[in-house]
Amino acid sequence: MEATLTKGTTIPTGFTREAVEELSRQKGEPQWVLNARLAAWETYEQLPMPQRTDEEWRRTDIRPLKLDKLVPYAGVGERVASPDSVLATVEGGVSDESDRAGVVIQRDASTVFSEIKEEVAKQGVIYCDLDTAIREHPDLVRQYFMTQAVPANFGKFEALHAAFWQGGTFLYVPKNVAIELPFRSFVLAQQPAAVFAHTLVVLEEGAEAFFVDAFNSPTLDEQGFASEVVELILGKGSKLRYVQVQDWGRHVWNFMTERAILTNDSTLNSLHVTLGGKFSKNSIGSHLRGPNALAEMLGIYFGDGDQFFDHHTWQLHEAPYATSDLEFKGALKERARSVYSGLIKVYEGAQKTDAFQQNRNLILSREARADSIPNLEIGANDVRCTHGATVAQVVPEHIFYLQARGIPYTEAQKLIVEGFFRPVIDRIPVEEIQGFLEGAIARKVGI
Amino acid sequence: MSTVPILEIENLHVSIEDKEILKGLNLTVNAGEIHALMGPNGSGKSTLAYVIAGHPSYEVTEGSIRYFGEDIFEWSPDERARKGIFLAFQYPTVIPGVSMANFLRMAVTNVRNARAEAAATDGGSAQPFTPREFRKLMREKMAQLKIDESFANRYLNEGFSGGEKKRAEILQMALLEPTLAIMDETDSGLDIDALRVVAEGVNSLMRPDMGVVLITHYQRMLNFIKPHFVHIMMDGRIVQQGGPELALELEEKGYEGLRAALAAGAQS
Repeated sequence: MEATLTKGTTIPTGFTREAVEELSRQKGEPQWVLNARLAAWETYEQLPMPQRTDEEWRRTDIRPLKLDKLVPYAGVGERVASPDSVLATVEGGVSDESDRAGVVIQRDASTVFSEIKEEVAKQGVIYCDLDTAIREHPDLVRQYFMTQAVPANFGKFEALHAAFWQGGTFLYVPKNVAIELPFRSFVLAQQPAAVFAHTLVVLEEGAEAFFVDAFNSPTLDEQGFASEVVELILGKGSKLRYVQVQDWGRHVWNFMTERAILTNDSTLNSLHVTLGGKFSKNSIGSHLRGPNALAEMLGIYFGDGDQFFDHHTWQLHEAPYATSDLEFKGALKERARSVYSGLIKVYEGAQKTDAFQQNRNLILSREARADSIPNLEIGANDVRCTHGATVAQVVPEHIFYLQARGIPYTEAQKLIVEGFFRPVIDRIPVEEIQGFLEGAIARKVGI
Repeated sequence: MSTVPILEIENLHVSIEDKEILKGLNLTVNAGEIHALMGPNGSGKSTLAYVIAGHPSYEVTEGSIRYFGEDIFEWSPDERARKGIFLAFQYPTVIPGVSMANFLRMAVTNVRNARAEAAATDGGSAQPFTPREFRKLMREKMAQLKIDESFANRYLNEGFSGGEKKRAEILQMALLEPTLAIMDETDSGLDIDALRVVAEGVNSLMRPDMGVVLITHYQRMLNFIKPHFVHIMMDGRIVQQGGPELALELEEKGYEGLRAALAAGAQS
C-alpha cells in the first residue's frame, strides 16, 4: 500500500478531529497510529494558544495567523521515479547520487521519493519516510516517535503536529556504524495547505551520521503554515552532524521545534539556517544527559522585507562534565525583525559544566531590528558559563575602506556581511554547505 | 603625454560637522612628480587625503578638485578608486571575517575591469585577470614586500602589527597600480627596517605617468623616497613650498620655528 493521499479529495479548511481521522484513513494507518493522533488532538484542544504573556512568546505575535483558514493537508501525492525533476527548483537541491547516503523527498503531505544507498542499507541503516517506518519498523517508531525528545504534549503547536504530521523522515543507524555521506531530506510545499515535516534520527551507541534537512517552497498568495518537529536521539559515544535550511516562501508561518538528547560521550554538531518564511518561530534545544556529551549549536539567520524570526535556544545541562557551545548570528535588512532568546540551564549536580552562548546581530538598515536576550539559570557551583549578545550596525568606515579600493557599495556590504557570518561558516567543515551558505548570503544581500 | 595635471586642487574649503578644516588649499600634481605634504598634527593633512578619496563625512564648501581636468566631487569613493586614485590609509581598518585574498581579488577585479572597459572605449583591449593569474601576481608582490604568504588567508588587517598593516597597504597599491597615490603617514609606527621595505616598495611602484602625494609628519621617510616638491601645511592651508631642502630646513627649525619665521615674515 502506497502511503500517498487520494487524488482529488476536497479537504475542508480548519483543523478538526474529523480531519485527523480522514488523514489517517487516507494514509491507511494502523489503529495505534490513529489513536496516537487522536490523543494528540485532545491535547491540542486542551492546551491554550500561546499568549504574549508567556515568556517565550513575549515578543512574538501570532494573532494574525488564522488557523481556521488553513487546509490541514494537501490531498495529492504520487511517487516519482527520479528525484532530479522534483529538486530542480531547489537551491543546492540536485546532488549527485554518489554524494549522498540516501534521500527522502516530501512534497506537500506525501513522500514522493525515497532512496538509500545499497551499501549503506546493508550495514543495517534504515532511512525512509515515516509511513514506511511505521509499516516496517513499528517497534522503533513506537519507542522514539514523539515520546522522548519532543512528546506530543510538549506544547500547543507540537500537539497539533502530533495530530497532523505527514510524510516525515526516519533515520536509524545501528551500533558502531559510521556513515560519512549525508542523508538528505527535502520537504517541498507547493500547494496552499498546511505542511507538516517530521525528522526522527536515532543513533545507537558509537554510530555516526550526517543529516541535512531542507524546507523549501515558492511564495503563494494564500496564508501558509508549516510545522516541523525534529527529534535527535544520540546514543552513547555517537556523533551526529545535523544541518537544517529553512527557505519557505514568504507566505509561510513556520513553527519548528527541535530537541536533541545526548547521552554519555555523544557529540552533536548542529547548524540552523533560517532564510525564508513570513514568520519563523524556532525552538532549538539540547538535553545533555550524560558526562562528556558535547553539543555545538550554530545558527545563521538573514531576514529581509517584513520577515520576522524568533529563535529560542536551550542548552540543558542535566549531567555533569558536559559541554555546550552555541553561536547564533543574524543579519537583518529592510524592515526585518528578529528575536533571539537563549537559556543555559545547569541542573543541580551538573558540576564541571562548560557552557558558552553567543548571539550577534548585524543591522543593515534603519528600520530593521533585533532583540537579543541571553539567560542563565545555574544550579551547580563548579561550572563555567559564558554568554554574550550584541546588536550592531555596519560600520561606515568599513564600507568606506572597501570602496576606497574600488569595490562598489553593494559588493562592499556583501563582503562585510559575509565576513560577519564567516566564523560560523568556517565551523562547518563541509564544502558543499559552505558554498550554499555563501550563495544564500549573496542572494539575501541582493547581488 | 598629456599636459593636463593628474591632480589640481583650487581654493579648497572643507568642513566636518560645521568646523572648517581646510581653508583655501591649492595643490597641483603632474605626472612623474612626488610631492611631500608636511605639517603639524591638526593642520588638515589627513582631511585632504580623505576628501580626495571621497570620505562621506567631509563637506566641501568651496573650491574644486580635478583629476585629469574632471571634477571628482560627483564620483563615489569606489568610482574614484577605479579611475586610479589610491589612498594608503594612516589607520587601515580591521574588517573581521573578510580574508585578505578575497578582498584583494575583489578590489583588483573591480579596478582591472573598469580599466579594461575604459581602455576598450579608447580602442584598447586590456584583459581582466584570471583567478590563477591573480594568485600568481599576489604571491609575487607579497614576496617583493616581504609579506608572509599566510597573510592571504588572514582576515583583513585583523591582528596585524602596525608595520604589517602598512605593508598590506603598499601591497594593495602594488596590485591596483594607481595613477594618483595619496600616502597618509605611511611612515608612522614603522621601525627603520619596516620603513625601508615600505619605501623601497613605493619607489619600485613609481611610474612616469603617476603622481604621488606623501603625507608625513617627519622628514625621515624623505631620506628613502625623494620628493620633487615639499609643501608645508598649517591651519588648513599650504604656507610654504619648495624643493627637498625645505624638508631639511623644517627638520632643523621644527614647526614652531617655521611658524615663528612665517609670522615674522608676514609682519615685516
